[in-house]
Amino acid sequence: MSNQDFALLAHLMRRAGFGATRDELEAYAAQGYTATVDELLNPGDPEVMPDDLIRRYHVDQSELRQLDGAGANWLYRMVTTRCPLEEKIALFWHGLFATGYSKLNQARALLNQIDMFRRHGLGRFDALLVELSKDPAMLLWLDNTDNHKGAINENYGRELLELFSMGIGNYTEEDIKECSRAFTGWTLGNAEYMAMRASKDSIWPYSRIAWHFQYRDWDHDEGQKTFLGETGNFNGEDIIGIIARQQATARFVSMRLFQFFAADDVDSDGEQVIEAMMQSYFDSGYEIRAALRTLFLSEYFMSEKARYARVKGPVELLVGAIRQAGSYRAPTLGVHQLAYQGFFMGQGLLQPPSVEGWHEGMEWIDSGSLVERVNFVAQELSSLDKPGVRAIIDRLAAENGGVLTPEQLVDQCLDLLGPVAVEDDTRTALVDFAAAGGGALNLSGHQPGDATEQRVSNVLRIIASTREYQLA
Amino acid sequence: MSTQGVMQGVTMAYVKTIGIVNNGDNGRGFANPHDVVVSRDGRIFVLNRCDPARATAIRVGICNLDEEYLGEFGNGFGEGDGQFGLPVAMALGSQERLYVTDEYLHRVSIFNTSDGTFMGKWGVMGSGDGQVNGPAGIAIDDDDNVYIADQNNHRIQKFTTDGQYVSQWGEKGAGSGQFNMPWGLCAAGGHVYVADWRNDRVQKFTGDGTYVAAFGSSGDGDGQFSRPSGVAVDADGNIYVADWGNERIQVLGPDGSFQQRLRGQATLSKWAEAFFAVNPDEQGTREVADLTPSLPPHLETPYQISSQVEPYFWGPASVTVDADNRLYVAETNRHRLQIYQRV
Repeated sequence: MSNQDFALLAHLMRRAGFGATRDELEAYAAQGYTATVDELLNPGDPEVMPDDLIRRYHVDQSELRQLDGAGANWLYRMVTTRCPLEEKIALFWHGLFATGYSKLNQARALLNQIDMFRRHGLGRFDALLVELSKDPAMLLWLDNTDNHKGAINENYGRELLELFSMGIGNYTEEDIKECSRAFTGWTLGNAEYMAMRASKDSIWPYSRIAWHFQYRDWDHDEGQKTFLGETGNFNGEDIIGIIARQQATARFVSMRLFQFFAADDVDSDGEQVIEAMMQSYFDSGYEIRAALRTLFLSEYFMSEKARYARVKGPVELLVGAIRQAGSYRAPTLGVHQLAYQGFFMGQGLLQPPSVEGWHEGMEWIDSGSLVERVNFVAQELSSLDKPGVRAIIDRLAAENGGVLTPEQLVDQCLDLLGPVAVEDDTRTALVDFAAAGGGALNLSGHQPGDATEQRVSNVLRIIASTREYQLA
Repeated sequence: MSTQGVMQGVTMAYVKTIGIVNNGDNGRGFANPHDVVVSRDGRIFVLNRCDPARATAIRVGICNLDEEYLGEFGNGFGEGDGQFGLPVAMALGSQERLYVTDEYLHRVSIFNTSDGTFMGKWGVMGSGDGQVNGPAGIAIDDDDNVYIADQNNHRIQKFTTDGQYVSQWGEKGAGSGQFNMPWGLCAAGGHVYVADWRNDRVQKFTGDGTYVAAFGSSGDGDGQFSRPSGVAVDADGNIYVADWGNERIQVLGPDGSFQQRLRGQATLSKWAEAFFAVNPDEQGTREVADLTPSLPPHLETPYQISSQVEPYFWGPASVTVDADNRLYVAETNRHRLQIYQRV
């Protein structure tokens, strides 16, 4: 297996997953790139950390009353899944259909929404939008619980068209009103009591009561509606059927997928990929899976051009480092701190800043968040007691009798942490740093935590601090 | 004389609910109650496991059947004397002592039940004789022998009340006398009953660890279990099992025969009524709400259903029976006790 193959698979796994360890890359390489893409797009048993173990140990994650426990619960899944795209696509939709804790005060409803993204996130876009429109967290988040026959609330109807499917400029204000009429009667079970509890953040008497969808036919507007030039007694499903077949929708969805999975910026080559994704979207009957397959198998995505063309989002960075370090594989006291950690880096799971989601790309980076990002990753990847770090040391020790020049030490560590491709200047600086530790490193006879291992740890720490490690 | 095949006819009738969620402050209310024991004088001790992010709420609360809140002890999260990491279970010994296991600190803390004074602690993490790894259930028999479900060593260990090792039995496995992460324990009638959590069964032993019987198998049918977490036995030998993963309680006869299953039917406690008395707006919308709704098909697991249906048990981690055949169910996720009476 060539280093180029590993580099390509590592790139795929950074985008379609949260990075990969060398062991994982070897397994993917054995089946090949296309088979790996298809495996990612068709998730099987994710073999995540068993729910019974989590709930026995973490009562807060059993009750899921609080935001930190809920965020940690999702992180456990991201860290342990064998089907990383299932979580990655959920993270993508969470950013696009951004629904937050602040107004809902109901962490479980948010996690149920994420689970819906797992079930439908790679399938048909129209089915996903129907589920989204019935999603209890969304119904309250965008006030569809206040959208009544004869007294519409346009909030959901507007965002469905503007932020969730077509984008501004592709519909009129009248379309928004008609769309909203079609979604009257789509609400929560016990909407009044649940809305009051949410607004008061009431947990009394016996903690939160989870939410479910309810259709109130007596509150649904049965009149004729004209939407995007079509007229009929439309209900919500009919509206979504019309939305899904719009060219603007195909473009919007393909563009957002491209920016999340391929590159923050779209150039003319990227534009061609997006058009191919749109075609796949229509050819497949609006399948997200098909559009993504076109993307991952495109020449553009597989080329050098797409490498490191995205800034890792905080959760990608956090989960990637943890997966590489092999930590949090069993219930661990204090895991809720990880949820805070994401927040400190600028991406608190289940609490996006607004319905527009997070501003991604270079906007992830500011001086405060960068310090948090570097510190966290450096700490994870330099901890000699972590299984993933031990695996790296074992591999280093097995090569060439465990004797490595500073150049070899740097190159091997870069390779095993990715491969991570760094600029020449960066590599020179890393080699100088490694050499300052005292010439060639001899790992033969190394003991956990001894001086030789410490030198490896220091190099891993510095690599984790490079610009390149912050990119996907 | 064998009682096999004889229907015991055990029937439980709902009595009342005690509790209200306590949002991290101390005082009246519960925070993820994980175990309950009742003293001979009728005081109800409730172990508030909570979690370290809400550190001060981790404690033992005391109330009575009339729903008077009598006080609390334990000093929140920490490693100091009288503090807890992840407390799991309690047992009453003689001389007014309450023993509390802690699966994070791998120890047992002892308190005086009359005033909550910290009296001592014991336990060393490990897998050797007398060492523990994640101690969970605890039971004390009439002779003051202490039994501990040594969760991550997959065995039961027997100690004196001052922590001297006596004996042990079991190892990881699914055969008779083997365990997989045992949780709840009960010592009654000269026997020790173990909620063999990840084997989905209850096992019965003599006090010296001789295997007697096993009840149940994986599933949600009558007499089947999903991750049973707690077990209690009344004076007639009837067995009450906290069928945690099925979010229900099952009652078995002394021979393990299925008698009854309970799904929970909580009503408003006095503390809950007091809350609504000063929050009439919430009470108004609650009164017209359907608190036992039918649910969409993807919300079909007992756990999901219990998250939606407030009267049902949700996280029934532990059961205990008092001298008057009252059954107390501690619900971790609903911060309350549901109480039933054998009739």
